Amino acid sequence: MTGTRPMRQRPAVVTLLLAFLLTGVLLASLLTGSSGVNVADILDALLAWGDSSTPAGAIVWRIRLPRALLAAAVGATLSLGGLVFQARLRNALAEPYILGISGGAAVGAILAMFAGLAMFPGVALASFLSSLLVMALVLLLSRGRATGRSESLLLAGVMLNAFCSACIMFLLSLSQSTQVHHILFWLMGDLSLAEPGQLWLFPPLFFCFFLILIHARPMNLLLTGEESAAALGLHLRRVTWVLLGVTSLMVSLVVSQAGLVGFVGLVVPHFFRLCCGPDHRVLVPACILGGGSYLVLCDLLARSLPAGGEMPVGVITAMIGAPLFIIMLWRSRS
Amino acid sequence: MIRNQHFARVVTLCCCLLSVAVTAWAGTRQLQDQAGRSVTVPEHPRRVIALIPSLTEIVFALGRGDLLVGATQFAKEPPAAAELPRVGSYLHLDIERIVALRPDLCLASRDGNPEHMIRRIEQLGIPVFALDPRTLPEISDSVTLLGELLDAQPQATVINRDMAAKMAAVASRVQAAGKRPGVFFQIDASPLVSAGRGTFIDGLITGAGGRNLAGERTSYPRFSWEEILALQPEVVIIASMAGGYSEEELKAQWARWPDLPAVKNGRVHVVDASLFDRPVPRLADGLVALAELLHPEAGQ
Repeated sequence: MTGTRPMRQRPAVVTLLLAFLLTGVLLASLLTGSSGVNVADILDALLAWGDSSTPAGAIVWRIRLPRALLAAAVGATLSLGGLVFQARLRNALAEPYILGISGGAAVGAILAMFAGLAMFPGVALASFLSSLLVMALVLLLSRGRATGRSESLLLAGVMLNAFCSACIMFLLSLSQSTQVHHILFWLMGDLSLAEPGQLWLFPPLFFCFFLILIHARPMNLLLTGEESAAALGLHLRRVTWVLLGVTSLMVSLVVSQAGLVGFVGLVVPHFFRLCCGPDHRVLVPACILGGGSYLVLCDLLARSLPAGGEMPVGVITAMIGAPLFIIMLWRSRS
Repeated sequence: MIRNQHFARVVTLCCCLLSVAVTAWAGTRQLQDQAGRSVTVPEHPRRVIALIPSLTEIVFALGRGDLLVGATQFAKEPPAAAELPRVGSYLHLDIERIVALRPDLCLASRDGNPEHMIRRIEQLGIPVFALDPRTLPEISDSVTLLGELLDAQPQATVINRDMAAKMAAVASRVQAAGKRPGVFFQIDASPLVSAGRGTFIDGLITGAGGRNLAGERTSYPRFSWEEILALQPEVVIIASMAGGYSEEELKAQWARWPDLPAVKNGRVHVVDASLFDRPVPRLADGLVALAELLHPEAGQ
C-alpha cells in the first residue's frame, strides 16, 4: 500500500506547483510591458481592482490582463491538444497542427483578410470554420480503416496541410505589401489584439479541458496499443471520436483568436513527459497549467524584449522551446 | 437615515456625472473625418499621436510638432520627429504604449492603419481622427482639415498656396509640351514593382504629363522584363535605393536592353525616393521634379 501513495499524490503536487507558477507568470505579465509605466503606478492600478479610468488602470485591466489570460488559454489548449494527439496517434511528432488544423485555419483567415473582413468576428469565424472543415475531411478520409488508422489519419493530415501551405503561398504571392505584413504576423501567432471581449473563450475551453481530463485513464490505456486497450475494455471508437473531436474544436477556437502559435503543442507535452513520466492523470493538468504558463512567459518576452515594436509570440515559443527541448532530450539519454 | 445617505449618494453621483458631462461638452467638438465618421475631438488637442509617418510630417509642417507625444517607426522626417517616443509600426501599433502616453487625440490614415487596431484604440476611450491623403488635392484637403483640428489654419493656408503654385506651374509646363510620353516608374527591383492605377504615384505621373504604363493594373503590380520590353517605355523613373541597389546597379539593369526607347535616348533617371515615398506636401516637389524629367524641353 505504501508503494502506491506517492503515485496518488503526484497529480495533486504537480498541479499545485504549476498553478503557483501560472499565477506567478500572470502577475509578472501584469507588471511588465512595452510602455515602461513604472511599477508603483501599476501596483496602484492593481489595488484599485478593475478601475480602468487612469492610463495605468487601462493598461493593466484592458490591455495586459486580457492578453495574459488569452495567452494562458492558448498555451493550455495547444499543449493539451499536443498531448492528446500524441497519445491517441501514438506518434511523438503528432500535434494539433499536423492534422491540418493550422493549414485550414490559415487559408480561411487569409481569404477573409483578402475580402476585407474585420478581425473579429469575420477573420476569426472564417478560420474557425475552415479549420473544422479540413479536420472533418481528414477524419472522413481515414474512416473505415480498422488497421493502421493512426497512420492513415496522420498521412491524410500531412497531405491536406501541405496542400493548404501551397494555397497560403499562392495567396501570399497575390497579396499586397500591407496585407502581407498583417498575414505574416497572424501566421506566426499574434496575441497583440487581445481584448476583454475575447474572454468568452473560457467557458467552452474549460468544458473541453474537463472532457479530456476525465479521459485521462483511457489515454493511459491507449499507450499500451490499440488492440490491448480494446482488450482491456476500452471503447476505442468512442474514445477516439471524443478525444479528436474535442481537441480539434478547442484548437480551432484558439487558433481563430490568436493565429498560429507554433511549437507549444509539440514541446510542452514532451517536456512534462520527460519530467513526470507517462501517466496522463498527471500530464493533463500539467499541460494545461504548464502550457499556459509557458505561453504567458513567451508573450511577456515578445512584447518587452524588442525596442522597435513587439514581435510575434510564435517566434519566441520556438526560439526558447527548441533548445530547451534538445537539452532535456540530451540529459534524459545520459 | 439609510434613505438619506442613499439620497445623498445619488445626488453626489449625479453632480459628478453632470460636471464630467459639462467639462467634456465644453472642451470638445464634433468634426467629420475623411473616413466619413463624425468624431468627437478636443477643442484644443494637447497630446497628439500620429499613427503613420506621413501624418507626423504634416503636423510638423503645420508648425504643431510641439503637440506630438508619440510617433510610429520610420517617422524620421523632419529630424525632430525622430526624437519622439515610438508606438510600434503603423501596421502593428503598440496599443499599450499609446495608452501610456495619454494622448487626447490620435491621427490615423484610413488607408494605412489596420481598421481593427483603430477600433481598439477607440474602445480605450481615445478619439481617433482618420485622414485619407493620397493624391495632391487630397493632401491639400488633409492639410486644411489638420489645420482646423490643431489650431494652425494660417500655416495650412501657406502650405496649400505653395502646393497650388507648384501644381499650376507644372500644369502650364505640361500644356506647353503637348505630348505625353509613356512612363515606367520603378519602385522596387527584383522583383520589378511599379505603381498602378489609383496610387499617388499614378496621380503624379499623370499630373506631370506622362502616361503611366502600369496604369492598366491596380495597386503595386510586379512586372517581368518580358512585359517591360513589350511596353517600350519612353521614360524610366527609378526610385533611389529600390531593392537596396546602388544607382549604378539600378541603371545597369536597364542598360542590358539598349533598344528600349528610354535607354536609347538616355531617359533612365534615378530620383530621390524621399520625394515620392509619402503622401505629404513635399510630394508637390516630387511633381515638379517629375515634370522636369518628362518635359525637359518645355521649361526652357
